[in-house]
Amino acid sequence: MSSIYRFLIILLPLLVFIFYGKVLLTDRIDSSNYMQPKNLPQFELLDLNNQEIDIAAFDELSLLNVWASWCITCLVEHPYLTQLSEKEINLIGLNYKDSQENALKWLGKRGNPYTFSIFDPRGDLAFDLGVTGAPETFLILNQQVIGHIQGELNQEKWQSTFVPLIQAAKEASK
Amino acid sequence: MIGEIAHFLSIASVMILTLVLIINIIFSFSSGHSNQLILSYKLFNQACFLIFLSFGIYIYLAITDDFSISYIANHSNSQLPIFYKITSIWSAHEGSMFLWIVFLTLWSILFVNYLSFEHPLKKGTMLMLTLIILGFLLFLLVTSNPFERILPFGVIEGADINPVLQDPALAIHPPLLYLGYVGFVISFSFITAYLFSGNLSYPWEKDIKNWSFVAWIFLTIGITLGSWWAYYELGWGGYWFWDPVENVALMPWLAATAFMHSLFASSKSNVLKAWTLFLGILIFALSLFGAFIVRSGIIDSVHSFANDPQRGLYLLGFSGFITFISLGIFAYRLPSMQSSKLIVTGSKESFLSMNNILMLTAIFSIFLGVTYPLILESLNGEKVSIGSPYYNTIFSPLILLTSIFIMISVEALWQRGMQAKTLFFAVAPTFLLAALALYLIWYFVEIFSLLAYVGIYSGLLIIISYFLKAALTIKNNSYLNKGSFVAHIGLGLLFFSVSMNSILSYQKNINLFPGDQQFINESIEEFNFLDLQNIKASNHDIVLAKILILQNGNSIYLNPEKRKYFARGQITSETAIHATPLKDTYLTIGDQLENGSWTFSLQINYFVKWIWFSSALMVLGILMTIFKKKIR
Repeated sequence: MSSIYRFLIILLPLLVFIFYGKVLLTDRIDSSNYMQPKNLPQFELLDLNNQEIDIAAFDELSLLNVWASWCITCLVEHPYLTQLSEKEINLIGLNYKDSQENALKWLGKRGNPYTFSIFDPRGDLAFDLGVTGAPETFLILNQQVIGHIQGELNQEKWQSTFVPLIQAAKEASK
Repeated sequence: MIGEIAHFLSIASVMILTLVLIINIIFSFSSGHSNQLILSYKLFNQACFLIFLSFGIYIYLAITDDFSISYIANHSNSQLPIFYKITSIWSAHEGSMFLWIVFLTLWSILFVNYLSFEHPLKKGTMLMLTLIILGFLLFLLVTSNPFERILPFGVIEGADINPVLQDPALAIHPPLLYLGYVGFVISFSFITAYLFSGNLSYPWEKDIKNWSFVAWIFLTIGITLGSWWAYYELGWGGYWFWDPVENVALMPWLAATAFMHSLFASSKSNVLKAWTLFLGILIFALSLFGAFIVRSGIIDSVHSFANDPQRGLYLLGFSGFITFISLGIFAYRLPSMQSSKLIVTGSKESFLSMNNILMLTAIFSIFLGVTYPLILESLNGEKVSIGSPYYNTIFSPLILLTSIFIMISVEALWQRGMQAKTLFFAVAPTFLLAALALYLIWYFVEIFSLLAYVGIYSGLLIIISYFLKAALTIKNNSYLNKGSFVAHIGLGLLFFSVSMNSILSYQKNINLFPGDQQFINESIEEFNFLDLQNIKASNHDIVLAKILILQNGNSIYLNPEKRKYFARGQITSETAIHATPLKDTYLTIGDQLENGSWTFSLQINYFVKWIWFSSALMVLGILMTIFKKKIR
């Protein structure tokens, strides 16, 4: 009888140990993240042109895209974002841990798909949003974050993650 | 330069501790080595002192604003009062880990020197403690070095402490909590040394009893302070959120509570020995698990530090290593631990062992709650969050059963069964009185919630049974364990007040222009927004609302604030609380809407003060037990 106990006393912690080790070692950055709607955090930042930001810009359905001039993946998703911004969606940038000069240069060179870009050199707003790195994209409606994608935004992720959320939001508002 | 000295001292300490281990491994093969033991103890003490010295210098660096040290530059500021310059040290990962190690060292040096030179377990305990200190010191220096410089030039001004941490309760909450957490390293190491020694007839309980009680007191105060801080600083009106980090603090607390009870049974009647030893190991293993959860960033929480897999792996590996040493030797010795004595049904021990099982169930349920989201995520990538509904549902039957066993055990005797007559005359009145009290509560509050009523009934069972017992002992002039009485009244009061709080408290959202007023309900006839002021303080701007509330005919002035801190641009909300013994009127100011009006959140929170008070009672009860004169 006691040999079973002896076995269990070692086995159960061992399973816990192995499980947590596995979780640590797996890359947990997943592409989609369904979430409870969360209020957009408060912030007092200017945009890249030093203009004040009207929070009402987030009333309509918007994408908040976290980008930086140093971010290679941002370059990859840039054409798709440009394509998106030409559709009905309101695309707002969150320039993350970047210098104003480099950011403006980058936009000048590649083209600016954003309605405006919030300038967040220390990552304050990004921290409150829970950003882990660039690029990331948040789906916002009525100043509430309703969806979140980490990594590159492309047609596939747009269809699989954001489109259902947008449809659900539209149905809810009817 | 001074920073490098401190850095060097801690590295020197690593070397000396390594030396202690090497000496003892080499000489463990030879006999007659009292000189070697003296040398080990001296080296051990010196290594501990070097760590204290290093931390002392680190405090000096923080006070003198040495912003060339990256950690201090990122978490302190020259404008801070000296008190917060010091507390900024434990406001983030590296510094708080340093503090954690300093406390680990403090407990270790005190305990090792408390044991007499001839004590058979002194050497083993010291070696285990050396290993643990060494492991964590290496973790600090290799993965999270607090001494790292910003080279070649430091910054002129620090980035400031996080404003929500700029608060006296929170400044002392981590040190007390850590003192509690790491305090159980004593029982852990001592038990491991005891099991390795193989002499299982040695009465080990007496040597660590009071040490464990003191650690339990620190842990309890630490958890309560954290909860109190969350209540008045975060502005959500709650005091416990089942946040993963709260959970990993609650697990060692439950294990420690079970351990203390088991120690009595083990030392008084020599039963539950394996249980007691296992619980003693489990407490510190759970503390280590907590450190891993918080510091690896594996679970999102308000407390967690930055995600760093390297730290996580090291912590998991090392914690696993020392836990398995301890559990391994425990499993190995388990067959020889079987006591020839059986637990008498109906004796005090029998109820204690029941409650051990219940506590372990509670610990396992919390553990599952913390781990389940990760399991699900790793299975199919789905993210879930487990919150209070899960814990409330799991805990309410557990609490009821625990309370029933506590209630019966009040009348039970050590090593003797219980007579049906005692059971009937002592237990039946308690059941009935508690039911009557519950009915009266229902009659007056007219609110029903099954979970809350289970909690209230459990609390009442404990309180009433202890008061009946006290009344009887006064009448018969017999013995009453006063420490146990006070601590259990505290526990009963805790169940009672938490449950009452959950059914009575309510919240109102209010939206007003300055100068306007509003009717809220029968008890709050008027909510008057008198004025709004802008004030400049040393490191933040304040928006202060002046509110007059007419509550049950009394005028209450409340001034909630919103603060904007310059250094980080962070906005915090300062709650205004009007406290009466029964309820708190709790007001936070929200946002200003586009039309210029302001939002407020008004909460009426019942019995909150009672929750802190019941914690204090439990601590007082344990203090009384520690300082109790040895009557028998």
